[in-house]
Amino acid sequence: MYIFITLVGIAVTVFFLAGFWRGLQNAIAEYRSGAPEPNDVPNYQYGSLAALSVIASAVIIAGAGFSPAMIYAGPLLALVTAAGCGLAFFVEQKST
Amino acid sequence: MDKSIFAAMPSLTPTLGFASMIGLGLFSLALSYAVKTLLVRNTHDFIIADRRVGFGFGVGSVIAVWTWAMAVMMSSAMTYQWGLSGLFWFVVPNGFAVMAMIPFARILRKNMPEGYTISEFIEYRFSRSKAATAIVTVTMIFGIILEILINLKGTSVVISTVFGIDWKVATVVGIICVLAYSYFGGLWTSVMTGTLNTLMITVPAAIVVAAVYAVIPGGSEAVFNAAGAADARNLSVLRPDAAAGFGITLAFGLLAATVSDQTFWQKVWAIKSRDVGRVFLWSGALFYPIPICLGMLGLVGIAYGLKPSDFGGDIVAVGPYIVSHIGLGLTLVLLYVLVILAACYSTIDGASAALSSVVAVDIVKRYFPQTSESSLFVITKVSVLLGGIVATLIVLSGLDFTTLVLTTYALKTSILLPLVLSILWPKTNMVGFVGGIALAIAVGMPIYATAGELIGTLSIVAISGLTVLVAGLIGGKDFDLAGLRRIGDEVSAPAE
Repeated sequence: MYIFITLVGIAVTVFFLAGFWRGLQNAIAEYRSGAPEPNDVPNYQYGSLAALSVIASAVIIAGAGFSPAMIYAGPLLALVTAAGCGLAFFVEQKST
Repeated sequence: MDKSIFAAMPSLTPTLGFASMIGLGLFSLALSYAVKTLLVRNTHDFIIADRRVGFGFGVGSVIAVWTWAMAVMMSSAMTYQWGLSGLFWFVVPNGFAVMAMIPFARILRKNMPEGYTISEFIEYRFSRSKAATAIVTVTMIFGIILEILINLKGTSVVISTVFGIDWKVATVVGIICVLAYSYFGGLWTSVMTGTLNTLMITVPAAIVVAAVYAVIPGGSEAVFNAAGAADARNLSVLRPDAAAGFGITLAFGLLAATVSDQTFWQKVWAIKSRDVGRVFLWSGALFYPIPICLGMLGLVGIAYGLKPSDFGGDIVAVGPYIVSHIGLGLTLVLLYVLVILAACYSTIDGASAALSSVVAVDIVKRYFPQTSESSLFVITKVSVLLGGIVATLIVLSGLDFTTLVLTTYALKTSILLPLVLSILWPKTNMVGFVGGIALAIAVGMPIYATAGELIGTLSIVAISGLTVLVAGLIGGKDFDLAGLRRIGDEVSAPAE
């Protein structure tokens, strides 16, 4: 598991840094363009997704009390966090 | 399980400790200088990043500022003390507290698009009431100073424990490293270094925790069996004593820590308006795995029957002790140190950036409105240094933080419901807002001191909320939040 997590960690790092580079380029381009930012705040409903993540975290912690394999869920999900941050750069919309 | 496996590593020299701290500082400084050159021209850019922080940087930086150095260690410590129930009560409210910002963030960003600080909102919400704005401004400053000094103290203790460096020297070196780069780019620097720090927290944490389990004979199964054999409750999340002992109090404290914290409000007004809601959703959800991952070190401590006396008496040190004594390679121990340093630096630079916005908008522009842009820019940058210096002096003085912690706790907890109601309930008025906070402190804190944390916290929250409700129902006038849209930008970017 340690080797697997290390290899996935390296892959996730590359993905994260690629996203970071994209985000940095976007930020500089938008700053230079000087185009005004819209003030719209979309009216999306996030309640169910938020509730789902709260429940999921509780289930994962509880799961570590039922199966030793679930102990590795924490490290694996920490990699999901890094990957999620990288993904956020790729799904963000450019202003220009 | 035989705890003779734990032994000190002679290769962890002070030189390595200094190299870790200064190396991360220099890397951040280089990035900061580039950020300053490319993205920061004036006070507006420095304190609010021209309101152009995108989705990616928003998510990464919110996770980073919420991942305190102490939280990295506390997740292991709470698991070690209470088993999985400790981890449950530490983790679940933590991510929820970030997502709880969503409704308030959306309302204020929509109705006050040119805002900077939560104190500024209160100023306009309560007809420029000096009492209301002063309370909120002081609360924000106390909270920020506390954030800086707690992270500084926690990190200096870890660095001194792992590398044998005097903790006072570690404190000074640490704060110099953070302030050196925070000074240049303000919020943009904080956002970008914070995002990179999220990478430096997550991937190394996953690798180090997996490595710890890899060196334990029998791995996760052995730990699971030994922890259960020590006490079956260690593997349950349903221990009521964990909830009563710290869980419920912590849940309220965490909610107050986000909703009553300028570090988060600054981001609400700096992130692109279309991304505000989903940034806090993703950040809260993606935060969860960090303490869950590091909490698994606490099970190792239980399984090996470690006693607090084995690692200096403070259970917060259980994680660092396990990692630095269980026989991992030097690189892996350094990776763990990097996790703690990254958490420390990102929280301090986030707090420093928040302080700069409070100083610019709530102090200089409010009391000295004629201050020129060039002077404001200098004052704003100097405030970053000043906050760090004050926090460092408090840490170095060896003073007991208890008074500051309790004062900040009292202010933040008592402000929580009045602040929430001032955003959500149009009938909230100044009398209820100020009276609720004052009564909560005057009556609730003595209850807290005599009846304990749980009853005390519930009393503070109930008194402050009820006072606002009663005053609002008696006062009767509705406030039109949409009227705040007319408020102009207090620190608008000067014309080119």
